[in-house]
Amino acid sequence: MNRTMRILAGIVVIAIVAVVAGVFIIRGPGPLDFAGGTKVALADDRAGKPTGAPAKLEKASLVERGEYLAKAADCMVCHTKPGEKDYAGGLAFKLPFGTLYSTNITPDTDTGIGNYSDQDFLNAVQRGKRHDGARLYPAMPYTSYTYMSDEDVLAVKAYLFSLPAVHARAPDNTLSFPFNQRWAMIFWSAVFNPDTRFAPDTSKSPEWNRGAYLAEALAHCGECHTPRNLGFALDNRKKFAGAITAGWHAFNISSDKATGLGNWSDQDLISYLSLGHAPGHGSASGPMGEAVDHSFSQFAPEDIRAIVAYLRSVPPVSSPDLPATTAPVAPASPKEGATADARGKKVFASACASCHGWSGESPVSPMATLTGTWAVNDPAATNVAQIVISGTIRHTPEGALSMPAFGKAYSDDEIAAVANYVTARFGAKGSNLTAKDVAELRGQTAE
Amino acid sequence: MHMATVLTINGETKSFDAPPDMPLLWVLRDILGMTGTKFGCGIAQCGACTVHVDGKAVRSCVLPVSAVGSRAITTIEHVGTTPAGAKVQKAWLEAEVIQCGYCQSGQIMSAAALLATTPNPDDADIDAAMAGNICRCGTYVRIREAIKLAATGKQA
Repeated sequence: MNRTMRILAGIVVIAIVAVVAGVFIIRGPGPLDFAGGTKVALADDRAGKPTGAPAKLEKASLVERGEYLAKAADCMVCHTKPGEKDYAGGLAFKLPFGTLYSTNITPDTDTGIGNYSDQDFLNAVQRGKRHDGARLYPAMPYTSYTYMSDEDVLAVKAYLFSLPAVHARAPDNTLSFPFNQRWAMIFWSAVFNPDTRFAPDTSKSPEWNRGAYLAEALAHCGECHTPRNLGFALDNRKKFAGAITAGWHAFNISSDKATGLGNWSDQDLISYLSLGHAPGHGSASGPMGEAVDHSFSQFAPEDIRAIVAYLRSVPPVSSPDLPATTAPVAPASPKEGATADARGKKVFASACASCHGWSGESPVSPMATLTGTWAVNDPAATNVAQIVISGTIRHTPEGALSMPAFGKAYSDDEIAAVANYVTARFGAKGSNLTAKDVAELRGQTAE
Repeated sequence: MHMATVLTINGETKSFDAPPDMPLLWVLRDILGMTGTKFGCGIAQCGACTVHVDGKAVRSCVLPVSAVGSRAITTIEHVGTTPAGAKVQKAWLEAEVIQCGYCQSGQIMSAAALLATTPNPDDADIDAAMAGNICRCGTYVRIREAIKLAATGKQA
């Protein structure tokens, strides 16, 4: 080998090492690496079964078990356009580089998944690979679903195939170059999809393993609550530290005491997941409201407890953008307390005060109390603006309580003003939203 | 699903069957026949349905009956028996506030709740307390005048 060849070979080796190291650094740890215990394959696990439907459905049919798992994986919310048929797709995800539409997963052979074999369905759910060989975009959280057992994925398929076939073709995606190059997802998937099934951790309790399986493989909590890295994949170095997803702030759900769930009681967490409300912590709205309505509220009580046990074990990561403590109750008199935004105060007086009160403690229902919630304590006011725009509805066993949508009644300027007033009066630090910010938030929500 | 419900309304105990998510306004008007409280918008944006819940002005159109609990309800039919309510009603007649009248039970309930906590309200207090009560006839000037009259006993 002459000198030039040696230099070239050296450069090639360095380049390969750099790419491998780069991939390794960008990819970071897996979602369950923090636990650190010994993992065993599912088939070798003797401690208890972390997968499958809960005990009450042990004797239920495959379709019924699949229904439970499909709800646990929350398939319907993304695969249904509001007002259209369930699972028929067409929901628009608005991304900075174009719009993606969810697909029809009813058993229609022409526009749905009616032609999918078991292997086709496994390939789609666990590997992001479509029936025709094309790659799925990771808006479909297959890097989470990949941890589902084959048995559970096929139970979901059996449930979907038991539903009426709906003929509905989703609109074409409008992604710009280079994001419209589906084939490039082969590389993304090779780097970021572990393509591996859930492996129980023998150092942990059966309850923890069940919770880990539900939270990671099915409920895919991290897809909204974990920040993303340069490659748009989950950055598990900051696991559950909170992120903005579809224009909403999915708050920190790590065990951090100040800005995460560390100070929530077990009962608070159980109540929030199963009812969408915990006293003093507010009510689930937006995408989390949908997750509660269609998924968590349908969980067996022992599965909710398992998720709580698992969440408790996630290492604390603090959110520097949030205050260390939430603000106390505001004064009862409108004359006292922050009045940073006179226009916002006017809007609040006419549209908000009658339900939320001037103190932030609602005379209507604790579910409408603002005091103590992250929404009003977030100095970015993201979720306050979103809830004002789209309203919210909380379903409980006693019926529903709702807030109307003000997005069409108030201008961006007025919504910014009232969000700034609300965060200043009821939160730790007032926001500085502008009409432009509100217009951008409107543009990011899935519809 | 109907549930046997017991509420304290205008000092009396009322028992009835209602779905737990039925708004209090429907209970008052349709089940108990107390039609003094009016339906306006149904989304807490006009104030016509205002009642007092433990003395606070609350929009009964969004208050699920199951959320009332043991709190005492006062409606327009009974607010005249409270000191602030009596003053407000008297002032309302003296100032000839009412035009069509549809929103006025709500206006009077909000004004009475204001005077009970703030006996001498200034314009800012009145703005904050009354901004959520809308009047199509535009009687706002007379409403403000009547609230001041009720507070001070003399014409502004």
